[in-house]
Amino acid sequence: MLAELGISSVEELFQDIPRKALVRKIGLAKPLGEEEVVGRIDGLLDRNKPLGEFDSFLGGGYRSLYQPAVVDGLLQRSEFYTAYTPYQAEASQGTLQAIFEFQSLWAEMTGMEVANASLYDGATAIAEAMLMARRLHPGRRFVVPKSLFWERRSVLENYARGTGAEMAEVPWDPATGELDVDTLKRECANDCFGLLVEYPNSFGVLEESLPTLKSLIGDVPLVVAADPLSLLLLEPPGSLGADIVVGEGQGLGSSPSYGGPLLGLMATRKAHVRQMPGRLVGATRDRAGRRAYTLTLQTREQHIRRSRATSNVCTNNALVALSFLLFASSRGPRRMRELIESLAERTHHLADALSHVEGMTAPRFRGPFLTDFVVGLDGVDPSRFLEAMAERKILAGTSLADPRPGAAPLGFSGLLTSVDGRVDNRAIDRYAKAAAEVLAELRRSP
Amino acid sequence: MTEGQAPATTESRPPDFHQARWNEALPWEIRPPVAPTPVTSPFVPPALQRKASLRWPELTELEMVRHYTRLSQMNFSIETSFYPLGSCTMKYNPRVGEVLARRPGCADMHPAQPDSTAQGSLELLYRLEEALGAITGLPNVSLQIGAGAHGEFVALLLTRAYFEDKGEERTEVLLPDTAHGTNPASAAMAGFTTREIPSKNGCVDVRALSEALGPKTAAFMLTNPNTAGLFEEDVLEIADRVHGAGGVLYYDGANLNAIMGKTSPGKMGFDVAHLNLHKTFGTPHGGGGPGAGALCAGSLLKDYLPVPRILKEGRRYRWSYDFPKSIGKVKSAYGNVALNLRAYAFILAHGEEGIRRVSERAVLNSNYLGKRLGAHLDRPFKTLVKHEFVLSGSRLKERGVRTLDLAKRLLEEGVHAPTVYFPALVEESLMIEPPETESRHELDNFYDAFVRALSDTPENLHAAPRNLAVDRVDEVLAAKEPKLVWRDL
Repeated sequence: MLAELGISSVEELFQDIPRKALVRKIGLAKPLGEEEVVGRIDGLLDRNKPLGEFDSFLGGGYRSLYQPAVVDGLLQRSEFYTAYTPYQAEASQGTLQAIFEFQSLWAEMTGMEVANASLYDGATAIAEAMLMARRLHPGRRFVVPKSLFWERRSVLENYARGTGAEMAEVPWDPATGELDVDTLKRECANDCFGLLVEYPNSFGVLEESLPTLKSLIGDVPLVVAADPLSLLLLEPPGSLGADIVVGEGQGLGSSPSYGGPLLGLMATRKAHVRQMPGRLVGATRDRAGRRAYTLTLQTREQHIRRSRATSNVCTNNALVALSFLLFASSRGPRRMRELIESLAERTHHLADALSHVEGMTAPRFRGPFLTDFVVGLDGVDPSRFLEAMAERKILAGTSLADPRPGAAPLGFSGLLTSVDGRVDNRAIDRYAKAAAEVLAELRRSP
Repeated sequence: MTEGQAPATTESRPPDFHQARWNEALPWEIRPPVAPTPVTSPFVPPALQRKASLRWPELTELEMVRHYTRLSQMNFSIETSFYPLGSCTMKYNPRVGEVLARRPGCADMHPAQPDSTAQGSLELLYRLEEALGAITGLPNVSLQIGAGAHGEFVALLLTRAYFEDKGEERTEVLLPDTAHGTNPASAAMAGFTTREIPSKNGCVDVRALSEALGPKTAAFMLTNPNTAGLFEEDVLEIADRVHGAGGVLYYDGANLNAIMGKTSPGKMGFDVAHLNLHKTFGTPHGGGGPGAGALCAGSLLKDYLPVPRILKEGRRYRWSYDFPKSIGKVKSAYGNVALNLRAYAFILAHGEEGIRRVSERAVLNSNYLGKRLGAHLDRPFKTLVKHEFVLSGSRLKERGVRTLDLAKRLLEEGVHAPTVYFPALVEESLMIEPPETESRHELDNFYDAFVRALSDTPENLHAAPRNLAVDRVDEVLAAKEPKLVWRDL
């Protein structure tokens, strides 16, 4: 190859790099063989304690459910796994049809008319929905629940920064944990371009007012962030007046993997599709009249529209979307419904068991819930409680407080609690027993 | 064939390639969904109960396996085909990454676990940050990045925070006319106006840049080598000029595969760089994602990086949120950890020499294939290229053929088409990137396929592709009458 190029050394191909910019040494170690790589990484992973070593009560939008073998088996088909964006439609019908099916699935789950090919994760999907709402409606303020998990709120604020948009908050009802509808109505009438409602909210609570909200806010776009599995039981947001429905899809088909990759879901009404961010697959015909699929409405996207695109997003999380589709296809609606019912039943059993523990209020809020609820821990530092429980091989919940120094306090001491797919009644009993012991200890030595 | 022998002749036989053509039905055509019924649950208040159960088919496992296996057979992929998609770095994704990412210590970890139970992940991410810092020369790294474009956006948020901190109002981002579309889109999302700098011979026109720089300039976004595959030889002067005007110099890491161990964004004077781990460090592309990103910052912007960041204290690692100037969060949790693990495995396997050799081989492949194909189509710029090169198909128009036809005809050969119609400053452009994992044998096969396609009749080129799952797809119809879900059919 060097001879073909008429050069004697590959160095000559780098002579266009200025001398002052040359790197002599990167500072990496020597190469390792595959067996050594495996040994090195296993050595690191051995220092982790995965969920399987605990009774896990961590939720908050992530789920660790049993994955049917067929999901990963099909996912690992080379032709799905190592393809790229289906720019050449004729060579990519497999990926394109799978995305079309995925879009159809998310549209059916949400009761919406169209869905995109996915975004990075649930938090950025909410943020993209906010930017989309801003394109749909005038106004400067985006109305969000005060209960919104701080992390999602922070992502929203970062996505809003370049637009001049501001956040307006709707507090929660101290008894139910649900939105304060009077404030909501007032805020939405004040220079507002969109309203976000979580379904269920970051406290796990179902907003019972949701069916009435669209009539209260008029033509202000209603953005609903929904949990996909819960939608097997819940009235779809599309039937409740939602304009954009987003969600985090990791729980169906993927492992939590310490937080990534995840799956951002987004659906909307047909009338809004040209303001939607992200890839879209459409059905069309080939020259012989066969049904075929292709990326479409690309004039919304960055590679065509550049600075006037609906978003800068270039990738979709296609493989995670495929997992979501495979999981749903493998389980089918009936077994997915049984799964969420079973999780909800165990979660309610957990709440009941914890309600008898001295020092705990379970649930902290009276509003209806499915698979997550807040446990009140009055007078106890949640982080000390979590550490002590982890020593007893129980991951007792997720802290809801913003950990950044100087951040606004949450206003109550509590944890978000859920049930892992593996939690059974005995694990719930262990939680209640250990919690009683730990809280007693913490009271003795505060 | 060994070095120095005559190149393969164009008389070589075309592959007898046919893609599966299943005319595969949709799941609800295989088995219609059952009629919806009301869903009741004791845990859901009546007003929120689903009135009509989810309409989705209940396939048997075999029906499902056959359906998705057949779909997979109607896809080109790295593991089946040469995939010279310019700017996408379609290198082989080592299988070992798949094994490791499925270990419970990687997959079965919740982001809310206490740090004490995630010491392995924390150390792995910390070491990956160190390695990426070394490769880029920008030692402060955040892995909380979803993909390349997300990294661009976050870098511009850092830039914004930096100037707000300094009390300077800078509103404009400059970029070359060859920039990836994500660059201007990211700048707009971060609230900046954008201005394109014209290129001269495929590279930044430094004089035009100098004239555009000023007190309004927040940043100049550059990828080097650029999207034409050319190394911006004036990069040090560009850095001086941008910094002289008080601006931030941003490196789009899409093309990092060309320069590792040769130069680095830090050495070239960049202040911040995003990396696409799914390109350079071999994590799978997955049909379009998930990507994996990293943001590497020098001293100028490091204080503004997202939280949390990993701190090492003795032998322990922990997440810290105590960075008062940080912009906060840009994505849930800590980034695409399972992909970051694959990237770390890639770096461990390659090591110092291997990482350098990645770039040497990628650049050698590109120059070799560029030289051979340059005998057949115009090369608009200088011929010393980095990891990719651009050809112009404008000459094809004499025969009534377009670059698009050539791309479709190439698919008939069982190879993926190059990127087409980008960069836009080259008429009828083809952008070809043969990554380091491809052998000379594959490059020569591609050359033969390319020449066969070029010399085919205009009729055949217009009719292509004829041996794939579908014939030429009507994209205009798709956009005119959007059918985006099954109810539209």
